[in-house]
Amino acid sequence: MNRTRPARARFLTEVAITSLCYILASLVTFKIVAPIQDLFFPQFPSRASLLFLPHGVRVLAAWLLGWRAVPALAPGVFIVFAFLVGPTALEPSRLAAMAIAVTSAPLVFWVMSRLGWDASPRPDRMPCLACVMTAGVVSSIMIALLTNLVLGTGLEDFVAYFIGDFFGLLFLMMILMFVFRMMRRRGI
Amino acid sequence: MNEVSKLAELRKLLFGMEQALGLQELSPAERDIFYAAADLAERHPNIRTTGLMEHALVSDISRPTFFRALKSLVNKGYLSHASGKLRGYYVVNRRSS
Repeated sequence: MNRTRPARARFLTEVAITSLCYILASLVTFKIVAPIQDLFFPQFPSRASLLFLPHGVRVLAAWLLGWRAVPALAPGVFIVFAFLVGPTALEPSRLAAMAIAVTSAPLVFWVMSRLGWDASPRPDRMPCLACVMTAGVVSSIMIALLTNLVLGTGLEDFVAYFIGDFFGLLFLMMILMFVFRMMRRRGI
Repeated sequence: MNEVSKLAELRKLLFGMEQALGLQELSPAERDIFYAAADLAERHPNIRTTGLMEHALVSDISRPTFFRALKSLVNKGYLSHASGKLRGYYVVNRRSS
């Protein structure tokens, strides 16, 4: 029993931190980025965000946690869906979209490792930035395709999802890069 | 891998991004030696030069480049000579980790 307690606490910490990051990234996307997008692209037909920061959280969580990213992200993804669509979040198509959102990136990293391109973080080597970005792009295509399939949306939504996911990952990584750079310079 | 190690890996990834974007002040050899030192420092604060040279991140670096990069890391304040020890021991400065 004593042995399982630290493991359980570690798992719950992982879930709390990852889901909180996903919720925060979603809040920034929908409350700050979306109004700016509407201001600059008022004629854009899709409601999808062109800078979807939560995709960055999905990819980095999958890279760091592997399959454990699925339960770690699930509460955050569900809360964001419920916030956006209300009670219809429990409809089968929405639940399928949530499942796609949480499983795609870990699946892509898993397939990559099976193909001999193991990107998982290890203390004895430098992380492979190209691998993480590639996994981000592939999982974005996968999420855009499958989400469009289950939600029955059009081509412009597919393109918007893909652009939003890619720039969301890139932007989130750049934000983190400058945060860590600033922390390093301030001696943290 | 605990939460601290995950954060360290994330910092390593984004350190690599700085390098890729040309924003990083360290050369690839300096970066690898610094991360090898940070990895060894998790087990023991005083890092021995020989231990550092045997680390997987550093094994491809030639001896002259290794010592040049090590000296540069000390000059830039990333590493310091360990106090009260014989020569060949270093500590990772908290300021730069």
